[in-house]
Amino acid sequence: MGREKEKQNPSEKALNLLRTRLSNPNFIFKPLSDSPDSNYSKLKFIISSSVTEACNNSILLLGPRGSGKVAVLELVLGDLLQQYPEVISVIRLNGLLHSDDNCALKEIAQQLCVEHQLLFSKVASFDDNSQFMIAMLRECGLAHKTIIFVLNEFDYFAQGKQRLLYSLLDAMQSVTSQAVVIGVSCRLDVDQLLEKRVRSRFSHRKLLFLPPSKEDTERFMEHILSLPVDSSLPHNYTVEFNARLKKILSDERFKELINTYLSFNSTIGHLVRFLFQAVSYLDLDVGFLSLENFKTALSSMQRQPKLECIREYKSIHDSFQTSDYYARNVCLRAFEHLLQHQLISFADNRGHNQSVEFRPVKLLISLAELHQGLKSYRLCPMFYLDLIKIGFWILPLVQACKLHKIPAFDSFLVCYVNYYCCGASFLPLKMVKVAFSRQLS
Amino acid sequence: MPAIADRNSSPFKEMVATRSGDIARFNGCCTPQKRSLRSNAAAAKESPVSTPMKLKSPRRRLNSNPNSPANGIKGDFNEKPMKKNWNPKDFEQMRAVKEALHVSTAPSTVVCRQYEQKRVLEFCKVCVAQEKAGSLYVCGCPGTGKSLSMEKVKQQVIEWATMEGLQSPEVLAMNCTSLANTSDIFSKILGKHQPKKKLTGSTSPSQHLQNLYSSKQSLSGSKMMLIIADELDYLITKDRAVLHDLFMLTTFPFSKCILLGIANSIDLADRFLPRLQSLNCKPMVVTFRAYSKDQILSILQERLSVLPYIVFQQQALELCARKVAAASGDMRKALCVCRSAAEIHEAELRECASNLSLTSVEGEFISQQTAPALEIFQSQENNTVRIDHMALALSKAFRSPIVDTIQSLPQHQQIILCSAVKFFRGGKKDTTVGELNKSYIDICKSSLIPPVGILEFLSILRVLNDQGLFKLGQSRDDKSKRVTLKVDEADISFALQGVRFFRNCLQ
Repeated sequence: MGREKEKQNPSEKALNLLRTRLSNPNFIFKPLSDSPDSNYSKLKFIISSSVTEACNNSILLLGPRGSGKVAVLELVLGDLLQQYPEVISVIRLNGLLHSDDNCALKEIAQQLCVEHQLLFSKVASFDDNSQFMIAMLRECGLAHKTIIFVLNEFDYFAQGKQRLLYSLLDAMQSVTSQAVVIGVSCRLDVDQLLEKRVRSRFSHRKLLFLPPSKEDTERFMEHILSLPVDSSLPHNYTVEFNARLKKILSDERFKELINTYLSFNSTIGHLVRFLFQAVSYLDLDVGFLSLENFKTALSSMQRQPKLECIREYKSIHDSFQTSDYYARNVCLRAFEHLLQHQLISFADNRGHNQSVEFRPVKLLISLAELHQGLKSYRLCPMFYLDLIKIGFWILPLVQACKLHKIPAFDSFLVCYVNYYCCGASFLPLKMVKVAFSRQLS
Repeated sequence: MPAIADRNSSPFKEMVATRSGDIARFNGCCTPQKRSLRSNAAAAKESPVSTPMKLKSPRRRLNSNPNSPANGIKGDFNEKPMKKNWNPKDFEQMRAVKEALHVSTAPSTVVCRQYEQKRVLEFCKVCVAQEKAGSLYVCGCPGTGKSLSMEKVKQQVIEWATMEGLQSPEVLAMNCTSLANTSDIFSKILGKHQPKKKLTGSTSPSQHLQNLYSSKQSLSGSKMMLIIADELDYLITKDRAVLHDLFMLTTFPFSKCILLGIANSIDLADRFLPRLQSLNCKPMVVTFRAYSKDQILSILQERLSVLPYIVFQQQALELCARKVAAASGDMRKALCVCRSAAEIHEAELRECASNLSLTSVEGEFISQQTAPALEIFQSQENNTVRIDHMALALSKAFRSPIVDTIQSLPQHQQIILCSAVKFFRGGKKDTTVGELNKSYIDICKSSLIPPVGILEFLSILRVLNDQGLFKLGQSRDDKSKRVTLKVDEADISFALQGVRFFRNCLQ
């Protein structure tokens, strides 16, 4: 009992360690920032040289969401605040909250007051606030302190008359102030949104945050999931863990898995979420990560609400099943359910004159989704999956109805597929029933 | 109005004695050492290592400290000093260069704008001498030296008036973006006229001013008021009343204001002040044209002439001037590009140094390969900023990040971009999500790649919309949202030409 507890403890500790790591943006982006060519070093160089040379600068950080712009910025700011503790003050604004000029100036004034331990008056007018800001900039310039303005969601500040941007950037044109303006945005063309005179005052420096290459991704995963050898975990456990991890990472199936996952969103944020899920599936008894963990994570992340419906739908219909499997009312109800869940829709817009049975329908979910939904539903017979693998064309209603799990459908499906292979893209329900009953007889 | 340094001497004099005892050298690490404070000017001591006198003019340097071991500058000058090349590894030199090229450093003389400045100055002189009101409108693209010139004119008018024995005018210089309300400008003018008086509630400041200017005795004997209003187009309201009233102030019989308005649009006066023409008091217009290549070149050279060493190769400066003149004629951009070229050069040398320091550890057999590199490294001639650095800086400044981003997009996003390109080739400009999805599925089918489902398709579209590649409209039903492509087809084809699949796809 005691021994089992001991055996549990390292894996629990490992799990906690990994989960903490994956939730900590600092840790995630540090390995990617080590090379001198990285965005981290470039950003750090620009800001620190502005601080030391006492000149003004402005820079834009661009990249898709989840690529680590704010994380790297916070890393840089953290390092610089340690290096120059009294010299830098940071003002943070967010375009979603502060795009209105009044609001933004108030926020700037408030943050400046907090930084320099002054009292902030809530009734200060726009004029007062802007004069205060300019006066503070001048004071800090004389005292050789740099103010760093971080503008998140920069594209929202570029709406309207851009007065805040203009006054900030204009204040930086004078020798007396010492400020750095850092804009963070996910729009690549954000500087086209700026007015001519604001753009002229902006220094055109842009740092692009691109998703990492395949090799970098692999190295990153290895780094982040390997347990440190000198931690409090038992040494042989760590070694074993890391060895197994290495084997998984070099497995072809794993590589394919990752490639599929990253093929529509390859940012680091997306990858980290996946890794977090995978790590959470770590079996505490076994104590090591396995390929299965990753596969489960993948399927859980790609779960879609409509596929949930498919499964759920099946459980509803189990309760309706009668011995007469192909009962008409069951079929109809199944049909209506599918309509409701928007898995299918009518292919034509003719009125509701015709009875439901005779209208052509088409499947709203794609073949791949159907495939996945059926796969994740473990009791689905292989035959259905094989059928799906035949082609990529739009399936008619009945194939969706086969989720109803009526065994007698099997033989019917054969004939129906023959019909289908002739090129029809949808079938009216009546024809299906006809074909179906023909089979049964 | 941003306070440009109103010291009479050149701004570089300040930098002369800025050292305190210990200077950290720039030793090739990532973060430069903290420099000493500019305010220690008075307490400048001679340091055996540093070169405080370097930034003075060569003549002055000769007379002062003879034992300063200035980098790269030897002691035996003749009367006409030849400019040596700079040493970019020296932190102080680097800083001086960057400061010389910074936008906020006001040059002591404003070259290339003498004609425009003269015109404005003459106008002001006439107004001040005859105690007559008048208005003038300065227009031009951003970065053409308007505000800078107006500052100079302001100083020159005051100097001239004092010299001539006339009453020098009061000056009200302001930026119209700092006004919360457009009509606040009148209260400001009023405040300058009558600083102690408080306004009574009934008359608006504008009305008050008009009354003031209409009667003789209220302002007799007071000075003329020179009003410099920067970014005048912020005063344009829907009924154009404020701008109109402002210019009308100069038409009153006893008006005392000389109005200089600065804005970007050339036809502001025509478009927004048509009534003034009938009263025959349209403002005089002085246009600041965009800088030509020669003007940019001469401005850059003038800025760099304060430094006692050669920083840029002549061809590099010419390339920069030509490119910027062709693009916009904006001086700020030219300065920015030059600074960035200097930084690229610095970074390259730093990397070279760190590579050398790495290889020097590795032993002798490598030293044969590094020997030529060492030679290049140590020779002074190659320390100027060359044309390739400038070309790199120009490409960084002028290139949009679109091509890089498209190349680094994940596969499905690229396929969606391709499908959009193919779809819009037929001449349509926008389509719905459903149609695009069909086009996308077709492409996927033809190449046996499993397409993603509709939900993921929508989220990809949203991601691409956030990045500015697509534009998604609003609609209740997801599938009927309108989609427009915001990137040029040529850019996409160029970006994806390296991958055969997309090349075939886009043919």
